[in-house]
Amino acid sequence: MAFDSSLMPDLEVTSALPNRWEGTVLLDGNRSVPFLAYREGQQVYVWISGESYVFTPASPTNARSSRTDQSASDEIICPVPGVVIAIQVAVGDMVEAGQELVVIESMKTEQIIKSPRDGTIERVSVQEGDRVDRGMRLVVLTSVAETE
Amino acid sequence: MNVFSKVLVANRGEIAVRVVQTLQAMGIATAVVYSDPDSNAPHVALADEAFALGGSTVEETYLDRRKIVDLALRCGAEAVHPGYGFLSENPGFCKDCIEAGLVFIGPRPETIALLGDKIRSKETAVQAGVPLVPSSPVWQPGESNLDNLSSGIGFPLLVKASAGGGGRGMRVVERVQDLEQALESANREAASAFGDGRVFLERYIPTARHVEFQILADSEGNTIHLFERECSVQRRYQKVIEETPSQALNDDLRKRMASAAVAMAESAAYTNAGTVEFLVDALTGEYFFLEMNARIQVEHPITEETVKLDMVELQTRIAAGENVRLSQENIRPVGHALECRVYAEDPYANFTPSTGRLLAWRPPSGMGIRLDSGVTEGQEVTTYYDSMLAKLVSWGPDREESIGRMLGALKSFPVLGVTTNIPFLLQALVHPDFVSGKYDTGFIDKNSGLTSSLSVSQLSGVATGIADRIWQSNGNSSVSRRGAPVQTLQSPWQGLPKSTFP
Repeated sequence: MAFDSSLMPDLEVTSALPNRWEGTVLLDGNRSVPFLAYREGQQVYVWISGESYVFTPASPTNARSSRTDQSASDEIICPVPGVVIAIQVAVGDMVEAGQELVVIESMKTEQIIKSPRDGTIERVSVQEGDRVDRGMRLVVLTSVAETE
Repeated sequence: MNVFSKVLVANRGEIAVRVVQTLQAMGIATAVVYSDPDSNAPHVALADEAFALGGSTVEETYLDRRKIVDLALRCGAEAVHPGYGFLSENPGFCKDCIEAGLVFIGPRPETIALLGDKIRSKETAVQAGVPLVPSSPVWQPGESNLDNLSSGIGFPLLVKASAGGGGRGMRVVERVQDLEQALESANREAASAFGDGRVFLERYIPTARHVEFQILADSEGNTIHLFERECSVQRRYQKVIEETPSQALNDDLRKRMASAAVAMAESAAYTNAGTVEFLVDALTGEYFFLEMNARIQVEHPITEETVKLDMVELQTRIAAGENVRLSQENIRPVGHALECRVYAEDPYANFTPSTGRLLAWRPPSGMGIRLDSGVTEGQEVTTYYDSMLAKLVSWGPDREESIGRMLGALKSFPVLGVTTNIPFLLQALVHPDFVSGKYDTGFIDKNSGLTSSLSVSQLSGVATGIADRIWQSNGNSSVSRRGAPVQTLQSPWQGLPKSTFP
C-alpha cells in the first residue's frame, strides 16, 4: 500500500510504553475514535475502532510471498497448525485440481488440503503423525513448465 | 440445605471459570485441574485450589478419568462438575465418579449412554412421539453398496458420526461418487475425536434452522423447559451466533416443540439440565428431533439472561437432591438475548484456527453485556484446545436493542496478537438476512461476502499511519524511504494460497 502523508493521523496518545501506545485518533477533523498499537518483534499490531491490522515491514521477500499466483503454485503450504493424520498421495502420482492430498487435524477439526491444480506429485514433505505449523511445505507439485 | 462443601470442576477455559464463579457464589469451595499449557489460565487463578494433571495432550490431562477422580477424592471434593465437552458426556467417567462416592453433576450414566448413542436416542424419540429426520443404518467400513445405504434418503445427504457432537465427523455429500471418500474421512475423524468411528447417513434439509429447547428435570422426574435457543448461524456445523427467542417459531410451533422436548426428556428418564435439539424446515414448518445433549450447553447464557435463572446453580442443587420446585408457570422469558462466540480463527481464510500470544485482550462492558471468557491478556493460544476464546452475550428489551448492544460491544473489544472472528461477527449481525430474522444454517455459505476479504476501509490508511509512527518511534529509522514504510497485511494468512482449501 502506498503511503500517503495526508493520512498521517492526528493522534492523542493517552498511555505509552516503548512498544505499546493507546489513545484516540481524530478523523475528518471532528470524529475521535480509540486505537491501540503494539509493536512485537518485527510486527506492528493496530486495533482501531473495531478493526484489527497486522503490519510487517516491507521487504522484497514479503512483497513477493504475499502475492504469489495461487493456481500455478508448486508448493502446497500448510494453512493451519496441527497434526498430519492422513496422506492421500505419493511421489509420482498424477492429481487433479480439487483432489485430496493431505488431511490435518487442527483444534479437533479435520482440514482437508486439496490440490490447487492438475499435476504430478514431485515430493511429499511430511509423514503421518507429524506436528506441522502454518507456512510449512506439505507437498510439492512438479512445476508446470517441466510437465509441458 | 445439603449442598456440597467442595466441588471439583473437571474442565478448562470459559466454562470452568463460569462454573467456579457460581459455586463460589453459593459458598461452595472449588477445586480445578489443569494441563501444562494451562498453568497460567484464568480458571486456575480463580479457583480455591488447582491441581496439575501433568502433560499437554487432552488424553493425558482433561480426558484422563483416573487422574481426575483420584484428585477429586484426594482434595476432599464431594461432587464433580464436568462442564461441556471432554468427559461431560462420557458415561464411564460418570460411573467412575459414582463408584468412588462422588456426585456427578449431570444426568445418570445410563441416561448419558442412551443419549450419547444417536441410534438409541432416536429410538427413544420415536417412543416419545417426536418426529425424526429420515436416516440410514450404520455404515460398515468396506461396504460397497452405497446406493442401497442412501436409498430413501436422496442427495444431498449428511454423513454423521454415531457418537458425534459439535459437527465433528460430519459431511454434506452432493453426489453418490463422493460418498465413499466422505464416509472414510468422517469415520477417521470420529474415531480420533470420540474413540468410536461409526457413521451413518441422514436427509439433508437445505433451508434448515437449528432450534433447541433447554430442559430441566429434578430427581423426582418433574420436567420443565426454559424455552428455545436458535443456533442457525454455523460454520463447519459449529455454532457462531445464537439467539432467543427464535425468529423461526410462532407461538403454536413453539408450544408443540416445547411439549416434544419435554416428552423426549421424560422418555429418557432425564435428570438435571439437558438440551433437545431440533431441525426446523424453514419452508414447511416441520420440525425433526436431532439429538439430546446430556450436559450444560455452550450457549446456555442466553437462556439465563432471558429467564433470569442460574443454570449451574440449578444443576448443582438438583444433583445434591434438593427440591428445586420446578414449575413451568413460573418460567417467563423477558426480552431478547444474543450470544457471539469469539473464536481464534481467520474468517477470511475458511475460518482457519489461529494461534499466538494475546498481546491485548480488553473485554467490553456496559448495560446488558456479559462476557464469559476463558483467556486473559498475555496468554498463549495453542492448538491443543478448541479455538473458542470467549462468549459475548447481550440482552435487550427487544431484538433490535440486543443486536445494537452487541454491535457496540464488539466494536469496543480490542484483541491483538491473535486473529479473531470479531470483524466477521460485526458484518454478520448487520446482514439483511440476519436483521430480518430470515436466515438458516446455510447463512454463512450462501453469503460469501461475509467471508471474502474485507474491503479496505478509511481506517486502514489511518492504521498504517499509526503503525509507521510506533515503528519509527522505537529507535528505528523509517524502514524505508517515505512512500512505502510498512506493508499492510490485514491478516497474517494473506500470503497463503486459499485455493488449497475445499
